[in-house]
Amino acid sequence: MIEYVCVVFPYVTTILLISTIYAVFALGLNLEWGFTGLINFGHVAFLAIGAYTTAMLNLGGCPLVLSVVGGTVMAGLFGLLLGIPTLRLREDYLAIVTVGFSEVLRFILLNEEWLTRGPFGIYGFDRPFQDVIPCQYYNISLLILFVAILIIVYTSLEKLVHSPWGRVLKSVREDETVPAALGKNVFSYKLQSLAIGSAIAGLAGAMLALYLQYIDPGTFKPVETFYAWIIVILGGTASNKGTIVGALILWTLFSATKFINPYLPFTAHQMGAFRMIMIGLLLMLLMMHKPEGIFGKKEELALSD
Amino acid sequence: MNILSVQNLKKHFGGVRAVDGCSLTIKTGTVMGLIGPNGAGKTTMFNLISGFAKGSGKIIFKGRPTDNLPPYKVAQRGMVRTFQIPHALTKMTVLDNLMLAPKAQAGERIWNVWLRPQSVKTQDIRIKEKSRDVLRFFEIEHLENEYAGALSGGQKKLLEMARAIMIDPSLMLLDEPFAGVNPTLSRKISEYIDELRESGMTFLIIEHDIPAITRISDRITVMNAGKIMTEGTPDEVKQNRDVLNAYLGDEG
Ligand SMILES: Nc1ncnc2c1ncn2[C@@H]1O[C@H](COP(=O)(O)OP(=O)(O)OP(=O)(O)O)[C@@H](O)[C@H]1O
Ligand SMILES: [Mg+2]
Repeated sequence: MIEYVCVVFPYVTTILLISTIYAVFALGLNLEWGFTGLINFGHVAFLAIGAYTTAMLNLGGCPLVLSVVGGTVMAGLFGLLLGIPTLRLREDYLAIVTVGFSEVLRFILLNEEWLTRGPFGIYGFDRPFQDVIPCQYYNISLLILFVAILIIVYTSLEKLVHSPWGRVLKSVREDETVPAALGKNVFSYKLQSLAIGSAIAGLAGAMLALYLQYIDPGTFKPVETFYAWIIVILGGTASNKGTIVGALILWTLFSATKFINPYLPFTAHQMGAFRMIMIGLLLMLLMMHKPEGIFGKKEELALSD
Repeated sequence: MNILSVQNLKKHFGGVRAVDGCSLTIKTGTVMGLIGPNGAGKTTMFNLISGFAKGSGKIIFKGRPTDNLPPYKVAQRGMVRTFQIPHALTKMTVLDNLMLAPKAQAGERIWNVWLRPQSVKTQDIRIKEKSRDVLRFFEIEHLENEYAGALSGGQKKLLEMARAIMIDPSLMLLDEPFAGVNPTLSRKISEYIDELRESGMTFLIIEHDIPAITRISDRITVMNAGKIMTEGTPDEVKQNRDVLNAYLGDEG
């Protein structure tokens, strides 16, 4: 029994750690897409910017806390940078530009070795409280820290989306004409939403770097953006609570497929595909029976009519 | 004093001259009716004046040009318009539709939401009370927690007007406010417009309901085929031969 707990417990801790990181990551997308209607198909770029900035600042001698703040802010700034030329145009431009940006960024990370060490990746940066906490309690302490970050992000976002600011976002999401006719600067609200959403993704990137202790361009493939979308749709678009639950469900499922792995005649590569098929099936079932997601509101479904 | 003066407005859609050199002035605190047959260019005039469409010509609102401003800046200066086909925010509640409207809310700034939650809340409560008063007037207060998507066509029309009133504009452009509204309520709205005008608000109203528009307007402008046919008091307009032929027929 004791042995069993000792095996399972670290495993659960790992799942929770990853879920927390992806919950924060997807909360950023939920602000952009769920509450504002912005289509960001390159969300992973901001995860990468956060992770690399944090790691590089820290390696350059910056204290860890400041490095994380730097990573968050940098991702937010890039959100602004991408938003300024695209958010005045039709909405599909943002989708195109963000997807392009995330791929270009990955190539830069891969090829500008003087800056990013290219395919060798970055490691050797600090871990939070690395000297004070004994090894066997390390992951659980990290989890407590990450949960605390998640709670702060979640409550700050909840405050925002239930404020007059959030009300304007929802009006932008549905019909820009209305807020414009009422004197709201729609462009500015979209820009704020994109910048905050990107900064949150940057924070998730910093968390990911701290957890993995090693990042390389391969960590930031386009599929990560796709995971964020799955999480938001699964949990319920425009529900922050749903987004967190969605992240938990996705990573629990991913891990569960690992447990049944030995009983299936698949290679590792086939297993990856099998996982995606399972997730796809789950999503299809959900969309058929509860298209608004687990915690979403039917009346606010972003894609209806 | 004139609150609005537009000179030589033009807007073409390909070969269609929707608005073809229209000029118009409105005195502060009056109601101007805008009538004319379908396709005369009335809604296009609204779009130009409110900044939603760009054409050529001059628009002076409260003494300053607005023809190069985006719609939200025009609205911030105190001009609000409604749409012929109502734009209810169907995925928000009726109450939220109204609470969205007031200008310069403290809670529209992120740092206020985080750092001054108390004053944001106090202001929001005041806005909520005002919204409820307005909803009560339009007799849709029982629907405040419904999603606006659940409203009937006429109720959406009322919601749109209620929402516009929430920003305390100095000039209101109403595009067919009485279309699809039941007669008792339509009379009540006329009286309300009268009341608001007494308090200094100015109106430009497009309407096909001739008895209603002649009752509330101080002056009426008649458009036809992109041009202004005539302008005058309701009585002058009703007796105008051309207007009778082109638009009113026996009704006048
Ligand atoms: N976006 C557009 N593209 C092309 N043509 C347009 C557009 N908007 C209006 N028009 C044309 O301009 C003319 C004037 O239309 P407008 O909507 O201003 O008429 P209206 O006076 O409001 O009519 P109604 O009383 O039927 O509402 C019409 O011939 C219409 O077909
Ligand atoms: Mg019209």
